[in-house]
Amino acid sequence: MKIIEVKNLTKMYRKFKAVDGISFDVEEGEMFAFLGENGAGKSTTINMLTTILEKTEGEAYICGHALGKEDDEIRKVNGIVFQNSVLDKMLSVKDNLLTRGSYYGLSRKEVEKSLEPFSERFEMKDIWNRRYDKLSGGQRRRVDIMRALINNPKILFLDEPTTGLDPKSRKLVWDYIDFLRKEHGMTIFLTTHYMEETRDADHVVILDKGRIVSSGTPAELKSRYAHSKLIWYTPRSEKAEELAKQISETCVYDVDHYNISTDKNVTEFVFEHRDQITDYEYIKGSMDDVFLNLTGKELAS
Amino acid sequence: MKDFMGFTRRNLLIYFKDKLAILFSLLTSIIVFVLYLLFLKGTFVEAMKGTMRGLENIVNSGDIDMFVNGILLSGILGSALITVPYTCLQTIVKDREAGVDSDICATPLKRWKIILSYFTSSSICSFIMTSLILTVGLVVLSFMGDIHLGIASLLSAYGLMLLGSVSSTALFMLILLFFKSTATSTAFFGILSAAAGFVIGAYIPLSQFSDGVRSFCNIFPASHITSLIRKILLSGIAEKIDSSIGGLDNGAFIEAIKDTFSFNASAFGSNFSGFQSVIYVSIFALVCIAGMVIAYNRTYKRR
Repeated sequence: MKIIEVKNLTKMYRKFKAVDGISFDVEEGEMFAFLGENGAGKSTTINMLTTILEKTEGEAYICGHALGKEDDEIRKVNGIVFQNSVLDKMLSVKDNLLTRGSYYGLSRKEVEKSLEPFSERFEMKDIWNRRYDKLSGGQRRRVDIMRALINNPKILFLDEPTTGLDPKSRKLVWDYIDFLRKEHGMTIFLTTHYMEETRDADHVVILDKGRIVSSGTPAELKSRYAHSKLIWYTPRSEKAEELAKQISETCVYDVDHYNISTDKNVTEFVFEHRDQITDYEYIKGSMDDVFLNLTGKELAS
Repeated sequence: MKDFMGFTRRNLLIYFKDKLAILFSLLTSIIVFVLYLLFLKGTFVEAMKGTMRGLENIVNSGDIDMFVNGILLSGILGSALITVPYTCLQTIVKDREAGVDSDICATPLKRWKIILSYFTSSSICSFIMTSLILTVGLVVLSFMGDIHLGIASLLSAYGLMLLGSVSSTALFMLILLFFKSTATSTAFFGILSAAAGFVIGAYIPLSQFSDGVRSFCNIFPASHITSLIRKILLSGIAEKIDSSIGGLDNGAFIEAIKDTFSFNASAFGSNFSGFQSVIYVSIFALVCIAGMVIAYNRTYKRR
């Protein structure tokens, strides 16, 4: 079942098109990733889908509710984790979450009840009464995610949730996202400029200058736009070049190795010529290659 | 209603949990108090004595002290009525700058409730703080002598704190619309807190200024409220002084004192009566509220 349907969504700032007529669907329970560099229009799209920004043109339906017409209904089913922390630094975690809950008309008991299924996993007990600005970066992100869960959302929007976090905290954030997705069947809508974060997504959309340049599962995108590479370390010779070209015509010699671009399964070939191919590396096509091939730009890894 | 109450509670917590913000919001009042201890009291007492030549032996010096202490209290309250609501309302600019407004706008909280909540919380903060100062001030004064204040006057004083809080908040809601960053709003606060003491006549009575300056100062509701609160706090003690003079000067001394210390706000050569000041401040607040509703509906990005 489609939980988000977007048709020709456009956002203009005077004459500048931040988002340029994008269309896509998100299935219920899937992890949907928006990949693009800064300024590609990822956050603007999220801000429109969460009713923070008004759309200029196009249509969007969130859980069947029309964007621009049934915004209050949309706000009730959305949860958002923003790029930057937006909770009040001087207030405790408890005060932050209880006040945010009240914006949805929830009482203290209702907030506690709605957070109960996540509290243990998110280790909230330890930090419940601590001031938000006294928490570590990872702990703050944990609270930010909890804040997004206050209203028991059907869709969790995460706008570059791991930017600025250390590797350990990034891993923890991903553990929480996996938990929400797998244990609670939540639909995850993610924007990121980290390639590896799209690896586990069910569907990836690549955005460049406000336009969708491609979309599909990570495997589909890689098979379409990324090629695996066999690097064969050997002195240059006619015989070696002949053999390399048997794998692929796209073959270049570089200093001390042949760089062979191929989508074939090379295991058998290498095994057959194991007497000649003794020193080699095999690198599978990555999302970095997909992005590079589609936009001509490299992203952060 | 829970959403409105919750957001108002959040805004109140932001102010009251930040001890430094509370201190800075009362900085002008503290400066008025310190200057009073250093030299203002002496200056005011001298000014009064200058007016009562020939009556020095009749008027009790304790009454003069009580009178001047009342002027101090009105000055502290008047400046707090400017600086406290402004500090509270800076939350609007901070929220905009930090992206907190996006978080709020993504919830079902209606736009009019967001605006009304900022307004309400700032009015409440200001009312709590000024009422607290008024209460503490009156308790201290009552230990020093008879404050000659009836229940009706007392209630009027608290009522004025409410009116002053609401009107100042309405004015600053409009002014803060122009600030996009906390750096500029804080810079403006610096100017405002320096000017506040002069505008309400805490350092130098407004009667000492030219009519043009006096008229300008009395545009601001806090100046009217200061005059009104001064009138309430000092009328009792002024009557006592007048009765101790026993009509020897045909009430000239008290009339001179009321003029010198601006018991009535004045603009363009005419004095406002107490009632006229209340009406002026109320209309001023209503106009600002109307302007606030129009301006915020146009500028606040949320539907």
